[in-house]
Amino acid sequence: MKAPVLAVQNLEVRHGAVDAVRGLSFEVGRGEIVGLIGPNGAGKSSTLHAIMGAVRPTGGDVRLNGASVIGRRPEDVARRGVALVPEGRRIFAELTVEENLVLGLAGRRRREGVMEDMSDVYDLFPVVEEARRRKAGTLSGGQQQQLAIARALVADPEVLLLDEPSLGLAPRVVDLVFDALASIRERGLAILLVEQRAQRTVAFADRSHVLSKGKLRLTLGPESAGDTDALVSAYLA
Amino acid sequence: MTVAVLGIDWQTLADAIGLGAIYALMAVGIGLVFGVLRLVNFAYGQLVMAGAYALAFASERGWPVSVGIVLCFAVVLALSALMDQIVFRPLRGQSPAVMLVATFAVAFLLQSIALLWFGPLGKISASLATLNQPVTISGVDIRKIAIVATVLAAGCLLLLVVLLGRTRVGLHMRAAAMDFRTAELLGVRAGRVIGAAVLISGLLAAVVAVMLTVQTPLVTPDFALRDTILVLAGVVLGGMNRLVPATLGGFAIGFASGLLGGALPTDQSQYLPSFLFAAVILVLLVRPGGLFTREGQQAVERV
Amino acid sequence: MRRVDPVLQLLGPIALIGIAALVGMIVSTSAETYVINALVNVAIVVALYVFIGNSGVLSFGHISFVAVGAWAAGVLSMPVEEKPAIMPHLASLLRDHTLGNVWSLALAAAVGAAYALVVGLPLMRLSGLGAGIATFGVLEITHNVLRYWEKIGPGLNTFSAVPETTGLLQASLGAMLAVVVAFAYRRSRFGRLLGATREDATAARAVGVSVYRQRLIAFVLSGTLAGFAGGLYVHLLPVNTESVYLDLTFITLAMLVIGGATSLWGAVVGALAVSAVDSFLAEAESGIHVFGQSLDLPAGTRIVVVGALMALVLILRPAGLTGGRELAFRQRRPLRVLTKFAK
Repeated sequence: MKAPVLAVQNLEVRHGAVDAVRGLSFEVGRGEIVGLIGPNGAGKSSTLHAIMGAVRPTGGDVRLNGASVIGRRPEDVARRGVALVPEGRRIFAELTVEENLVLGLAGRRRREGVMEDMSDVYDLFPVVEEARRRKAGTLSGGQQQQLAIARALVADPEVLLLDEPSLGLAPRVVDLVFDALASIRERGLAILLVEQRAQRTVAFADRSHVLSKGKLRLTLGPESAGDTDALVSAYLA
Repeated sequence: MTVAVLGIDWQTLADAIGLGAIYALMAVGIGLVFGVLRLVNFAYGQLVMAGAYALAFASERGWPVSVGIVLCFAVVLALSALMDQIVFRPLRGQSPAVMLVATFAVAFLLQSIALLWFGPLGKISASLATLNQPVTISGVDIRKIAIVATVLAAGCLLLLVVLLGRTRVGLHMRAAAMDFRTAELLGVRAGRVIGAAVLISGLLAAVVAVMLTVQTPLVTPDFALRDTILVLAGVVLGGMNRLVPATLGGFAIGFASGLLGGALPTDQSQYLPSFLFAAVILVLLVRPGGLFTREGQQAVERV
Repeated sequence: MRRVDPVLQLLGPIALIGIAALVGMIVSTSAETYVINALVNVAIVVALYVFIGNSGVLSFGHISFVAVGAWAAGVLSMPVEEKPAIMPHLASLLRDHTLGNVWSLALAAAVGAAYALVVGLPLMRLSGLGAGIATFGVLEITHNVLRYWEKIGPGLNTFSAVPETTGLLQASLGAMLAVVVAFAYRRSRFGRLLGATREDATAARAVGVSVYRQRLIAFVLSGTLAGFAGGLYVHLLPVNTESVYLDLTFITLAMLVIGGATSLWGAVVGALAVSAVDSFLAEAESGIHVFGQSLDLPAGTRIVVVGALMALVLILRPAGLTGGRELAFRQRRPLRVLTKFAK
């Protein structure tokens, strides 16, 4: 059986004296969107950071196509095909939109195909192409979010990690982002989506894991969308 | 000496511009490393000192100027790389104050090593002395070094602008200076970016060493110490966080220093350092971002 | 056991000072000179600790207070007839009066306090990098002014004819006094509040602690102690503007860092340990015999070694020799001993 693109096994992350993540295990396969939802402080962001190598886990393993990437620096994890769209976008406001995209190229594994990938990204997010030469700081929140995703995509990743992309965005823009994610799924990427909007995520993702106080409490499929009770009890676990 | 403006003669003006140019280069050297490592390298002047000693070494043995310059560059780059490996990298992530103390210690250490090795009397680097001679332009005497320094500095700065603005590595450096963590997350190689900054910073120090030895052929262990302190003050005044304001600040303080030092009578110019530093403190309190930055760009926090 | 800990925290440093003094008395006259020097250093480093150690804010400028203290005590304790020789332009108020030893020390402390207040009022708003640079500016300004303002002191000249009253007794008492004051401060409400701001400034502010005020209080107190130490210093050696400038700044900071910046014990240990090493090397520079081998180091080795030690400590063990902890019978589980300086 082929190894899943991304496999997290018994992950443990500590922040000082607090266990942010405990014994977390899940997988994401090609062309899948897996959601990670839960209350604030549940450990969702910590999980993403641990996968990315920004934070050193205290236990467990993270495997990319079967190979362990634990303990590697973020720049190495990026080069192995993982791209992160960070919480709060974290685009470089003083650089132009185009420069932000070129920065994203730093995480590419293969040198060829840059032009095609850039043009694909422009097709997906036309507003990014229009604003190419403007300073990224002049973009609206929604546009910046699109830029952040575009920036991650130009790295031609296998795995896309998103940390609360809908935060602070108008509903119309959220739709746009989710549509883009669906389109990205079509291309065969493995997508791990950390979100606050629980119901929407449950309805949208192939499956959603509910995290509370660092532990995996419940896994829901899209058919459970609308079942508030299960969600609430998992949140409060 | 003909008067140019405000009772200041052309030669003093030219010298002041030359000094400003040299200080601007030092400011860039310090600013680059600060941007990428968030580390204020108190020991930057020691790099210049090492280069100056290399030049003096060559000069004393009667070697040709070109050999001296090559030796200068080699020594400075080697020392710079050593500093990076042994001091900068292990200190990454520490608070700015710890880094400041550490580089302060390194500065002292290097100065004492020089004192130990070469003695307090100093060495002479005479090979480029001809540049200290004046050239007459439309009836006005201007020292060649003032022109050379200005042109060279302008050239270096131009190269740097091209490097930072148009190359991949330059973009990575700028991004790293703005937001190191995010840059890393995108795959920017931290090691290479830091290495590039250290390299360029070292090259600039070597250039500065060559130019300063023309004006001050006597190389002592505290060579460039005063200049470093002034440049640091200028960088803070201009705006520590961004390269352009920092460079402007360096130039400004060099220019002011040269102008006031040359134009004021001795008894008034004695207190020049006090005025300069009082200005620095004032700026730190009132406009922590620096004089040449826009509002909201701060590197210095306040309580 | 818990009741004894504070007593130990005070007695430990005091005892160490006492032992050093004893060594100075017994071993030899040259040892005595070194020990006296070391004890004055203790006073300076303790002054540094009071501010830097408790607030976590770096100050490069404290030697300014040592300098003005030295100036005040030196100028006013010189016999009137000696003054014109090295200070021909002295202001009449300073020229026509002379103070006794203890009064000169008190004046030195007072001047240090006043100067620290003037400097601290604006500067205590800064922290981290800004504080480091601003206090460095203060050092530069002080050095510049003292060097050229001949109405208040010898300017370029070296102090001479100042009564050499800092012998072993004065130095020991002075160091112990500094330790007692520092200890009292740390145990006081002010000291504990400031320590809280070092650990977590945001949390401290959230419970209503005025970081600015607490830092100012510590700054002025440390300026007082530093001024006092300057008084001790001028009564020991011929002082000039260079001897209270970068070299002294460096070595006293090194002592604090190597000993452990955040504890009084660290300050004392650091000062004595580094002084010991420094003295040993000074002897070695003039040729000594150690373990049957003759050791003759070139001049200047001392600063190289101390500098290397300081850099090493900062890189490998930033908490210093003592780990920044006070002396205790039983090391209680340290609650997050954060020894980093305030960001």
